[in-house]
Amino acid sequence: MLMSVLFANSSGNVLLERFHSVPGEERLHWRSFLVKLGTDNLNGARDDELFVASHKSVYIVYTVIGDIWVFTVGKDEYDELTLVEVLHAITSSVKDICKKAPSERVFLDKYGKVCLGLDEIFSQGILEHTDKDRVRRLTRLRPLVE
Amino acid sequence: MALIQPAPKKDDDREDDSEYSPFYGIEKGAVLQEARVFNDPQLDARRCAQVITKLLYLINQGETFTKTEATEVFFAVTKLFQSKEVGLRRMVYLIIKEISPTSDEVIIVTSSLMKDMNSKTDLYRANAIRVLCGITDGSLLGQIERYLKQAVVDKNPVVSSAALVSGIHLLQSNPDIVKRWSNEVQEAVQSKASLVQFHALALLHQIRQNDRLAISKLVTSLTRGSVRSPLAQCLLIRYTSQVIKESATNTQTGDRPFYDYLEGCLRHKTEMVIFEAARAITELNGVTSRELTPAITVLQLFLSSSKPVLRFAAVRTLNKVVAMGHPLAVANCNIDMESLISDQNRSIATLAITTLLKTGNESSVDRLMKQITNFMSDIADEFKVVVVEAIRSLCLKFPQKYRTLMNFLSSILREEGGFDYKKAIVDSILILIKEIPEAKESGLVHLCEFIEDCEFTYLSTQILHLLGLEGPKTSDPSKYIRYIYNRVILENATVRASAVTALAKFGLTIDALRPRVLILLNRCLYDNDDEVRDRATLYLKTLGEDDSCKQFKESLFEELDVPLANLEASLQSYNASEVPFDLSLVSREIKPQQLAEKKAPSKKTGKDFGSKAANEALPLGTSAPDAYEKLLSSVPEFSSFGKLFKSSAPVELTEAETEYSVNAIKHVYLGHVIFQFNCTNTIAEQLLEKVSVVVDSGDAEEFDEVFSKHIESLPYNVPGQAFVAFRKPEGVCSAGKFCNTLKFRVNEVDPATGEKEDEGYEDEYQLEDLEVTAADYILKVGVSNFRNTWEALDPEFERVDEYGLGVRENLQEAVQAVVTILGMQPCEGTEVVASNARSHTSLLAGKFIGDIQVLVRLSFGIDAQKQVAMKLAVRAEDQSVSDAIHEIIASA
Repeated sequence: MLMSVLFANSSGNVLLERFHSVPGEERLHWRSFLVKLGTDNLNGARDDELFVASHKSVYIVYTVIGDIWVFTVGKDEYDELTLVEVLHAITSSVKDICKKAPSERVFLDKYGKVCLGLDEIFSQGILEHTDKDRVRRLTRLRPLVE
Repeated sequence: MALIQPAPKKDDDREDDSEYSPFYGIEKGAVLQEARVFNDPQLDARRCAQVITKLLYLINQGETFTKTEATEVFFAVTKLFQSKEVGLRRMVYLIIKEISPTSDEVIIVTSSLMKDMNSKTDLYRANAIRVLCGITDGSLLGQIERYLKQAVVDKNPVVSSAALVSGIHLLQSNPDIVKRWSNEVQEAVQSKASLVQFHALALLHQIRQNDRLAISKLVTSLTRGSVRSPLAQCLLIRYTSQVIKESATNTQTGDRPFYDYLEGCLRHKTEMVIFEAARAITELNGVTSRELTPAITVLQLFLSSSKPVLRFAAVRTLNKVVAMGHPLAVANCNIDMESLISDQNRSIATLAITTLLKTGNESSVDRLMKQITNFMSDIADEFKVVVVEAIRSLCLKFPQKYRTLMNFLSSILREEGGFDYKKAIVDSILILIKEIPEAKESGLVHLCEFIEDCEFTYLSTQILHLLGLEGPKTSDPSKYIRYIYNRVILENATVRASAVTALAKFGLTIDALRPRVLILLNRCLYDNDDEVRDRATLYLKTLGEDDSCKQFKESLFEELDVPLANLEASLQSYNASEVPFDLSLVSREIKPQQLAEKKAPSKKTGKDFGSKAANEALPLGTSAPDAYEKLLSSVPEFSSFGKLFKSSAPVELTEAETEYSVNAIKHVYLGHVIFQFNCTNTIAEQLLEKVSVVVDSGDAEEFDEVFSKHIESLPYNVPGQAFVAFRKPEGVCSAGKFCNTLKFRVNEVDPATGEKEDEGYEDEYQLEDLEVTAADYILKVGVSNFRNTWEALDPEFERVDEYGLGVRENLQEAVQAVVTILGMQPCEGTEVVASNARSHTSLLAGKFIGDIQVLVRLSFGIDAQKQVAMKLAVRAEDQSVSDAIHEIIASA
């Protein structure tokens, strides 16, 4: 199960979060935990440099693109290696939508499109599509190229 | 979560950010107002999309809508289906899922979505499926099932995936419907689209997870064919490994089915697949080193990868291999792992260290500790706790290295850290002091230094308690006094009280120190806390008296060996009079009512319960055998029986909620057996007198009754113990069945005053039978290394035989039955049988009466007719014991 996908700016403010099967009261802890990971490790990191952590049997793979921190949290079959796939699908789509590694402003300007992209990439904690070109077409309701 | 920081303030409206954010100053009420544009007759698609984006932003920020607000937005959104603008339509699909309307509202959009589901545009179909399946309930699902089944095999992969992923979600809520799609899903597994195959495989496995044959066929066909996506390949590996676990190894060739497939996956081009295969191999039951080697080799290569995720995955897998009992297999990777100690990623470094601590040999300990010291300062507490625990086990493994490890623990104890971390260190030192006698003195000194500057009351009191117990037994007890008395001067009341008690213990144990301790205790009389003053006064008084009441003094510091509830009941019924209160008359047995209350919901746990309840009833810090020994030693007639070998768990001899409640504990000695009957009178209007249990040993030929002790008086709800002792041949595991009758004199009493109302009459009450079996003569004592202990026992005394156990439901049941009959301790987790296994080996250890080590290897096999056969191999320090074990099984 993909438990969470969370975007934050480089000050640690949450911009977009998705949780699946995580009770409301635990979400607060996750937010703080992820933001702390970002503060500890992501300042000065290269774009798309992957970081990994685990907490008990839950895995976290995260990175930075432009001004945006992106975290993925998973357990069971969504282990660190599958999360790399998920994170790659997300970051490549976000960069595609924003035309580059986004600043916070660009990310917020494209917020609606980013939400649509995420909706195609995973659905209630299950990975659905990974290819950025396909995701782009799907968010525009354009048929796939054969 | 361990790392809890104050939550970051979301959407922080800082000055410098304000110009950036298009959502600056966003406010729910205003957005809901804006949402009215959805109702405009002339829809402005662009503006509507903007409002939906704002709604999404609010939702993604954790904002919630009231039911009315959500309903209003939902109804407004449904109007947007009129628009033909595709961008807006896509947003509408998303916002409907996010608002998740209630079941009575869903009906409003159903027709629009059904229309889209039949649309010629594939993507309308895909989205309509996802939305409908996301918001609909079972009744509506029946209506659209036909479309969903078609969608599963749709030629457009997006539609197919939408239906399959929806199926995975729906399987939780409507399994019956989704299970009917299995033919279509099976077809989708063969799809050329890689993600469709991935989704179909996941769904098919979930649908058929209880059908072993189907899963086995699925795995067989797919491992031969081609699986397109690495994600699907990972699933397949996982399912394959499950099939392997459930199938037996080919006994002739020793080959494991599908092993070749797993090994082949180690050469896959995708790292995800390689790791999945390596993990599957390392987790195989009874994996051999030949099977492990290729997987370990691959993992070793990844240890030096430039990608942190791969290093993490590799070291995590190796850590697991070690944890599963194959430290030698990982030894080749030690050098690579040592370089990971300095890895920037602390998760990787911690995993590397804990793995190394488990695989390292004695000679590498010093080097390892040097590296860890540098590392400890810059990791978080939660990682430190893991390292401390690993060091504790290392020290127990190499006790000769205690000096290095103890020094390390004491040095980290001086550093900054939170409670959990400090507690882990203190606990480790306490365990090492207990397990390694040589480490005691240095450990105590380290702890003394720690409490000089300890901010945690709990830890200080725990350490002071230990100092009081162990300090007086050391070579130079006086040196601890200063540390303890410092606490009296400098600490809070709780710690001061503990320190006073610790001081008094020194005074009591060591005559030479007593005068000086008395001086110190005198100073505590002016403490401003009641408890501290009370303790000081009590100890001064008792220590000041002459040695004639030494026993009384000692008892001051012992834990109370009576259940507090019983003490309370006795104290309440005690009337201040000439006769002083006698603690020894308070019952030591837990009230059967309490047992019964706890027992009610735990029928399933069965036998284990009794012992657990008995343990719970015992005072803190006293183990069950200790408490029983104390109780039995209070009866002079038992003093000649020698050392108590084993006490059984309580066996109930009455039904729950009967007027008299009786349970029995069997105490086994070398040449005697004592039955302890715990009796409780549950009728408030009765007082029972001269309560005894008459035991008929007609069916127990080797037992001769030698003594019986009755209960003088058994008032309502105060438990009492009657005893019956038997002589039996020494060292022989005599078995027998005993019929029991409770005999007593009943007096009617006034429940209010407790006064007798009549003369009373004799009565008796039939109890259940009690059996003494072979298992009563075997102590459950595990061994740390079964193999070594087995090898060390003389093969000459090994006895092997085969037995048929008849038809059993599964192997687990057979294993459980044999373990229960033998009453031995299963080792290395071998009492658990993999589900559906065809064969299994269990290792048991125990001490036979007379302190004779005995080990048992049980090999089970089950055939298609569920007939179970068992090979029993026994080794013991005495041949007669090996034979006795076989007799137990043969006669069971």
